[in-house]
Formats: sequence, C-alpha cells, structure tokens
Amino acid sequence: MANLKDIRRRISSVEKTQQITSAMRMVAAAKLRRATDAIVAARPYADRMRDTLAEVAASGGDAQHPLLEARAEVERVEVVVLVSDRGLCGAFNSNVLKAGEAVAVEREAQGQQVTLTLIGRKANDFFKRRRAEQIGKSVTGIARVEYGHASEVAGYLAERFVSGEADEVVLAYSEFVSTMTQTPRTTTLLPFAAGGDAEAGDGDEKLPYDIEPSPEKLLQILVPKALEVQIFRSMLENQAGEHAARMTSMESATRNTEDLIESLTLQYNRARQAAITRELVEIVSGAEAL
Amino acid sequence: MELTIVTPEGEAFRAAVDRVVFPGTEGEFGVLEGHERFLTPLKIGQVEILQGGATRLAAISGGFADVGAEHVVALVDTCELADEIDVPRAEAARDRARVELDKLSPNQSEEHSFKMQEQALHRALVRLQAAGR
Repeated sequence: MANLKDIRRRISSVEKTQQITSAMRMVAAAKLRRATDAIVAARPYADRMRDTLAEVAASGGDAQHPLLEARAEVERVEVVVLVSDRGLCGAFNSNVLKAGEAVAVEREAQGQQVTLTLIGRKANDFFKRRRAEQIGKSVTGIARVEYGHASEVAGYLAERFVSGEADEVVLAYSEFVSTMTQTPRTTTLLPFAAGGDAEAGDGDEKLPYDIEPSPEKLLQILVPKALEVQIFRSMLENQAGEHAARMTSMESATRNTEDLIESLTLQYNRARQAAITRELVEIVSGAEAL
Repeated sequence: MELTIVTPEGEAFRAAVDRVVFPGTEGEFGVLEGHERFLTPLKIGQVEILQGGATRLAAISGGFADVGAEHVVALVDTCELADEIDVPRAEAARDRARVELDKLSPNQSEEHSFKMQEQALHRALVRLQAAGR
C-alpha cells in the first residue's frame, strides 16, 4: 500500500486539477451564452437574405450567376474544414476532422483532386501531418467570430471557384443542435443552391419586386453575400458548439476528479488507520516483551 | 413607415421614420411612405433618416434595400448610427488604409488587396463624415 505522504500529494494534485476544470467549465458556459446570442442575432439577417435570394432567383427567370452554375465535370474539389483553435473539448474537433478526411478520401477515390481550406488551428495540426501539400489556405487565431472573417473566406472560395481552381466546394463543420449535441456535417457550399423552396414553386411566379437596376446586377451582389452568410452561420455554430462541448467535457472531468478524490481519501484513511494499528501492535508487543 | 436596418451581427435600427435617403449603387434615392415595392443594391455611404423633423445619419457598408409601402428593410454588412461611431477607431482605420495603399500599386498581382484597402479607406471616410456632422 502506498504511503501516506504519497496519497496526500495525489489528493492535492487532483484537487488542483479540479479547480482548473471547474474554472474552464464556467468560462465555457459564459462564452457559450455569448456564442448562442450571436447565433440568434444573426438569424434575422440570414433569413431575410435567403428569402430575398430565393425570390430574386425565382422571379429573375434567366438571371444567372457564376457561383450558381454546377459544372458538368468535377475534377477539383476544395474541402473546407471548420474546427476550433483549442482542444479540451471532447471529441468535438476530431469528429469534424474525421468527416473532412472522409470527404477527401472519397473524392480522391473518384479520381478528383482535393485541396484544403482549413479554419481553426486544430485542423491545421491534423492535416499538416497527412496532407501538408494540399493545404491552400489556413485561418487560425479567431478569438471571436466576426462577419469579416466569414467574408474573407467566402471571397477566397468564390475566387477559386470562378477561376476554375475548384469545381466544387464542400464544407465540413459541426452543427450546433443543442448544448449536449453537436453533429458533424458536410454540405456543398459551391455551386451555391439558391433557396430551394421558392424555386420549387410553379412556373408562373408573379413578380412582386421591381428590381433596380436589373435582376442580374442584384444577383451579382446577393449571391456572394449569401455565401458569406452561410459561412458566417457555420462559423457561429462552430463557435457555440466548441464552447458547449468544452463545457460538457469539463463538467464530466470535474465529476471524475470528485470521484477520484473520494476514493483517494478512503485509501488515505485506510492507510492512516493501518499505520495506527501497526504502531499499537508494536507498543503492546514491546510492553509484553519487558 | 417602419425602417429596419439589419446586419449579420443583429438589428442595428428599427423605428418609425418619415423619410429615408439611401446611397444606392445607381445614385442616392429617397423613400417616403407608400413607395412602390422594389429591391436595389446599396453601396458604402450614409443613410439619412428623417424622424419627426430631426435628421439622423448612419454609416453603412454595402448591402441592399427592400423597399415596401409600409416597411423598408436594409440588409447591410455594417451599420453605425452617427452617435455610435467610434471616431478614434475610424481615424485609425483610415490612416492604416492610407499607409497600406501607399505600399501597394493597383496592378495585376496586387489588385485584390488594393481594392480591399481602398474599400476600407472608403468605409472609414464615410464613418468620419457621418460622425462629423
């Protein structure tokens, strides 16, 4: 049995770990609140953007935009992997990384060339080892997601798509379902799908809008913005998911330290009692020997 | 007539107004109540909001306006009302953009970053102009 001093040292070390994990849990909870507020704040803009785009795309008739055009033959695929900068958030990042890697493997099996755009330091760490030469762009160090971050990424991807460096752009990210659940997802960013539901409407759509100067001109502005919004939303969801995952994993870590401290305390008391008993036996047998 | 200005970071403005002037890509245009419904892009510039005799200014960066008889909705990247504008920050942004622009030339290889800086400068100038009045 371990000696008393060792056990005491272990208990105090576990207690210190517990302080850290419970502090991290509280920080994550506060950040999660802010992150979910940001998602809620972004919703009106995103909803209106989607509705307007769907309406313009439906009413514009032959209005076209290069980002909306699907290529007949897809030779090059850009895989965007969106994760967090930091770890200690359970399987949150590794789920998305696996999903991204799976897409890359699948596309390569179809004979397509894969390039990577990575957002979040963990993605860079992961792919640097296995696909270093395929990394085209890597964004790290985003402490708080801002719209500017999303528009920068969107601009880069749109440029690659239009110039033909990528025939399709796929995003792997984590959907924020709830505090307890974050689901890894892959979705096609480009060619952009302009709001499916309005397009599904019957052919004789009325034209409720007078569009100035022309539907084409407006689409030129709307489509890139809609792409920005989609990326922005994914980044916000990713941010919220990261904090939620960290909160739950730190909560269970704190609970584990509690269990550990309990069992170590039990061990400590047993050892202490054993030591006392041993001393008593020594004293008694010493007295008898006299 | 109700005016709503929405940005990706949330609603920036929502109130009943008498008249609003937007910086459209095809030129400035004013909207009064009962306007025909139309949709048009906006550029970086100032929005003039007339509200019970007082005029408020806001600096916006590009987006579009959805004009209706009773509701006018502007979706823009950023929007700051004149009294919310952080002047020192705008000045810093202006100076930074000027320094960057001096380093770049609008030729092929640097065209993209040149345009970015040009827009940043434009945004900062509009902000300062809106705040200055």
